[in-house]
Amino acid sequence: MSIKTVKSTITGNTYQYIDNGDPKSGTAKNVYFSPDRKYVVAIFKEKQDHNQKERLKKITTDYLSRIKNNEGGNYYLDEIYRWPTDIIEDNGQTGIIVPIYNSKFFFNKGYANQDLIKGEEKNGKWFASASFRNKLFPLNLDQSELGKWLNYFQICVNLSRGVKKMHQMGLSHSDLSYNNVLVDPLTGSACMIDLDGLVVPGVFQAEVIGTADFIAPEVLASKHLGKTDPNRKLPNRLTDLHALACLIYMYLLHRHPLKGGKVHDLDTEKDDLLSMGEKALFVEHPTNKINKIKLNQIKKWDKYWADTDKLPYTITGPYLSKLFEKAFIDGLHNPMQRPTADEWEIALLKTTDLMQQCLNPLCDQKWYVFDNSNTPKCPFCDTKHKGTLPVLDFYYQFKPTVWKPENHRLMVYNNQYLFQWHVDRNITRNEKLSAAQKVPVGYFTFHNNKWVFVNQKLTSLKDLTEDKEIAIGEMLEITDNKKILLSKEEGGRVILITLANK
Amino acid sequence: MRRLPVYFLLDTSGSMYGEPIQALNNALSGMINALRSDPQALDSLWISIITFDREVNEICPLTELAMFQLPEISCPQSGPTHTGKALEILYEKVQVDIIKSTPSQKGDWKPLFFLFTDGKPNDLLVYRNMIPKIKSLNFGAIICCAAGALADDSLLKELTNDVVHLDNADTTTLKQFFKWVSETIEQGSKSQGTGESVALPPPPSEITLVI
Repeated sequence: MSIKTVKSTITGNTYQYIDNGDPKSGTAKNVYFSPDRKYVVAIFKEKQDHNQKERLKKITTDYLSRIKNNEGGNYYLDEIYRWPTDIIEDNGQTGIIVPIYNSKFFFNKGYANQDLIKGEEKNGKWFASASFRNKLFPLNLDQSELGKWLNYFQICVNLSRGVKKMHQMGLSHSDLSYNNVLVDPLTGSACMIDLDGLVVPGVFQAEVIGTADFIAPEVLASKHLGKTDPNRKLPNRLTDLHALACLIYMYLLHRHPLKGGKVHDLDTEKDDLLSMGEKALFVEHPTNKINKIKLNQIKKWDKYWADTDKLPYTITGPYLSKLFEKAFIDGLHNPMQRPTADEWEIALLKTTDLMQQCLNPLCDQKWYVFDNSNTPKCPFCDTKHKGTLPVLDFYYQFKPTVWKPENHRLMVYNNQYLFQWHVDRNITRNEKLSAAQKVPVGYFTFHNNKWVFVNQKLTSLKDLTEDKEIAIGEMLEITDNKKILLSKEEGGRVILITLANK
Repeated sequence: MRRLPVYFLLDTSGSMYGEPIQALNNALSGMINALRSDPQALDSLWISIITFDREVNEICPLTELAMFQLPEISCPQSGPTHTGKALEILYEKVQVDIIKSTPSQKGDWKPLFFLFTDGKPNDLLVYRNMIPKIKSLNFGAIICCAAGALADDSLLKELTNDVVHLDNADTTTLKQFFKWVSETIEQGSKSQGTGESVALPPPPSEITLVI
């Protein structure tokens, strides 16, 4: 074991790493830890050519500073990306400096029944598959690792933001898959790794076609063509959007959107190429059912999540359902129709406002999306909701005296908070929020058999139905059909209350 | 849905007696553990182990990786190497085990086949007879490993182009070899569905790849 010192080819900075002769070995790189374990030195196994080095340089200089110097820079660099920060040369080999993974991305327990993967990285695949969640599967993950359904929405929000930011900078990931993300359901975190292969359109082409399960249909359907053929489709921004849609679908529903029962060819390889490429068809297509998942052909561990009748994509709520339809019906073979990362982020966040806690303490998912019915129940364990459920619909002022719906709902549950982004139309819920904007402005609670809202920060809250101002520290009762003005300022919203499950 | 079946044919003839068989057991269990730590492998991999000396034994029928229990492999103190007979059994098993595609059912991925031996086939006629039949099974990859000076690379080359030669069958070498095998399998399970054929990862430096 020895400590080696290497030097940056850009800044002249020096870095150290521990060479114990047995580095962590990935497909393309050997990874060594720094003595203080703050960063790793990842050395490419193959010699990098001029273009590859140029790309690394762009990534570690131009793009890094663009992220750093923009709003939300810390969020992206600390939470969402393990972005390479420098390039080194060591005995003719090229390497990159990458910040170390946050400790939450290593298994605390791993499998329920043995320690085999304790301390290993939480590769995204562990949490996309259905098998590992099945308590009867011999190598199931411990319940303490799995998180709640709500956490998977947070994971998807983080992934969407990661893709959004890259696309804003003109980059595309080109190989987005569960192998290139780390996921921690407990905190709802996701982190994109292996970012040294990013595609800068027109400058660096994609080197690989991607990872199975995530390659866009047009890329697979044209892979037999030469790289210079005008009909050949290589990974780009729009194929990233296919991969992102697949990831979101898999994290929320633990099955693949295109892997159904339809056989296109008796040769396995050809069949796969067709069913993921040219002939790809959504397993939940509402009218064309030929690719529906055949439950009798599914591994027994995966059957629960594979049942599209019991758990259709519509359990993800109205906003996401629409995007899944855009991604896997309209946009599957028409890349321009695919939802953008930004659309996914907004729909995911709005959906979290529709979520309710399941009343069954043994429910594995713990949360579900309100199904817009008058008698809501958990789709996972079929437990019916008991008691009234306040539903708040938001309205904005279109012109004086005319208020229009925002198409945004908030489901109330005990101890739920209200935030600035609910109150003020000019505040968007995204990674750019300041710490002050993340402080709740009030909360809902079920108190003495009544739903009430306690005002903590709203300076001009008014109960319009009772024509009464509610000062900070006071509360108002939530009743059916009541209208409440959240703020008199420009952008302030009105909420209309409906009590469901009466 | 689709399974990736992997067959191991392991030489348990007399020459493996002693340290080599211990090393083999050790390396196999290391490999199984490595595969069991890979979510992708756990998703699709099914494993079968067949041993051969004078007798051929299917000691583990094709089993899903998560359910797989690795038995202790033992070998007689002496006896011939019936590689040909082992190929016969493999041929039968593969035909029964593999789920073929039908118009209404998706079939398995092309199976992978690893042969490990430290000698040469004593039933050469049968061995040579079986080669075209084995090739007709359309394996995704056939990889032979010849360990020690007595193993005959050229005979194995008749079966496949991918022959790995190990200088001996000690613990370190075998461990490294089976680590490479598990990387090959993991790569195989990853390349499925990309329309690419199984590419062998570079072997560790101690191994001679006969190509």
